[in-house]
Amino acid sequence: MNGSVIAQLVVSGSLMGLVYALIAYGFQLTYATSKSINFGQGELVMVSAFICLTMTNLGISYWFMVPLGLMCGALLGLFVERAGVRLALEQKNEGWILLTIIIGLFFFSAAENIWGRDDRPFPTPISSEALQVAGIRITPLELSVALGVFAIMGIIELFKRKTLLGKAFEAVAADRDAAELMGISATKTIMLSYSLSGVVAAVAGLLVSPITTVGPTMASALVLKAFSVAVVAGLDSGFGVVLIGLFLGSLESLTSYYVGSGWREAPGLILLILALAVRPTGVFGKIPIKKV
Amino acid sequence: MLVVDNLYAGYGKSEVLVGTSLTVKQGTVVGLIGPNGAGKTTTMRAISGELKPTKGTVMLDSKPVQGLDASRIARLGLAHSPEGRRVFGPLSVEDNLLLGAYHRLPRFFGFRSRAAAELERVYDLFPRLMERRRQSAGTLSGGEQQMLAIGRALMAQPKIMLLDEPSMGLAPVVVDEVFSIISRLKESGITLLLVEQSASRAFEVADYAYVMERGRVVMEGKPAVLQQDARMVAAYLG
Ligand SMILES: Nc1ncnc2c1ncn2[C@@H]1O[C@H](COP(=O)(O)OP(=O)(O)OP(=O)(O)O)[C@@H](O)[C@H]1O
Ligand SMILES: [Mg+2]
Repeated sequence: MNGSVIAQLVVSGSLMGLVYALIAYGFQLTYATSKSINFGQGELVMVSAFICLTMTNLGISYWFMVPLGLMCGALLGLFVERAGVRLALEQKNEGWILLTIIIGLFFFSAAENIWGRDDRPFPTPISSEALQVAGIRITPLELSVALGVFAIMGIIELFKRKTLLGKAFEAVAADRDAAELMGISATKTIMLSYSLSGVVAAVAGLLVSPITTVGPTMASALVLKAFSVAVVAGLDSGFGVVLIGLFLGSLESLTSYYVGSGWREAPGLILLILALAVRPTGVFGKIPIKKV
Repeated sequence: MLVVDNLYAGYGKSEVLVGTSLTVKQGTVVGLIGPNGAGKTTTMRAISGELKPTKGTVMLDSKPVQGLDASRIARLGLAHSPEGRRVFGPLSVEDNLLLGAYHRLPRFFGFRSRAAAELERVYDLFPRLMERRRQSAGTLSGGEQQMLAIGRALMAQPKIMLLDEPSMGLAPVVVDEVFSIISRLKESGITLLLVEQSASRAFEVADYAYVMERGRVVMEGKPAVLQQDARMVAAYLG
């Protein structure tokens, strides 16, 4: 084994890992307020990527397209909440599982019909010419993935900690009924969490598209990994998903290099099974502190 | 101020409230007492909208509010400090207080300065909360959590406050402390509906009291009068 090869593998694996972390973070956002997650999150990533691609093809410049793309992500997230999740939450059942899967399938076939089944390149102004940093090759495009992931997670975390609306978000997560008694509308907070989660999906789409290309199935593998990361890290720790994401991403690229590319999916699966068997609350998940 | 008339409410198929009526006049402290399971908490929840009443009316400031969402009723000026305190454990003490004033404050920035005066008043009343304002609420003692739950409700500057069993699970000295705070709030003119298991405690601060049994009010009157009542003495003050 060669040290610089390992370092190279860890760096490029980590970048994918950060994308898993970002999608997992999207799961956490909605789970916090509503104890529900969007199983069609991968389709949101894919549809927003297609919408961004279409806007680019219409001649809209990249930096103008980005905010529009994020807005579309927010609207898609809201659609999932309104069309699927809310109904189930109002009746206090687990119907959101099926509903979000079905909405995902609907997005999938809509995308196939509108944009076709082919994978298409995603143009970006960010260069993919490799730089050498301490003997490791990394492209500005890859760096933009890391930057983008940290930027959006940082902004949302700041929002949650520094604004009153963000604190209300945390209050609904901690005790929904008590939050209602403070005049906080849980329904609106849940809508907000779904739109934020949609924004996060759109960011993930924008970041990975230039690397993976855009196609109806572009996010299906990503989202499974993200799900493993969310389960392993726990559904309440943003810090945890980043760590576990980095770990899983590196492990995958090491495995595919040293064991064989066919084994790439193995670490995610093993991690998921281990987590479910050993620690269902996740490595970083904590039992809420409550004293009576 | 608050007029509850012939209220019915329950959980699923089981009816708990079967025609509860009570009135809280502006600037008075009204006690609601009764044995375990009488429906005191359910009454409060049906008033504040946490639970939707199936029949009857709740008038707040002469406006019907029954059937509205709890968050709407809170914005109309009713603060309900629920049974078991229900502070937001992971959030800091100060964040809990700020959230109490949620509906009066700007959502993004500048909310801290807008809440400053009220925050100072609450810290004056509960110096211990001031000391612990950065600590997460879940790590407070039971008594401190109760103070926080009261402080959080006061932050809303409510027209009327509902306070459900503030003495629950607390040591007698701490209960004394909580009730001396309630007396101080009373002097400052608060309008309060207070649920309390211990009738004698409730009578210390109440101007008027209702006794509930099996989902309806069975007796009412001024504490001084109720204290003379033979049935009352036998059941609650013995
Ligand atoms: N969430 C619930 N689901 C079903 N039944 C409930 C629920 N909460 C309370 N009950 C029932 O409603 C009845 C009244 O309960 P409630 O909590 O209102 O009584 P309480 O007077 O507040 O009693 P305590 O003094 O013990 O707090 C009880 O029989 C109780 O079992
Ligand atoms: Mg009770």
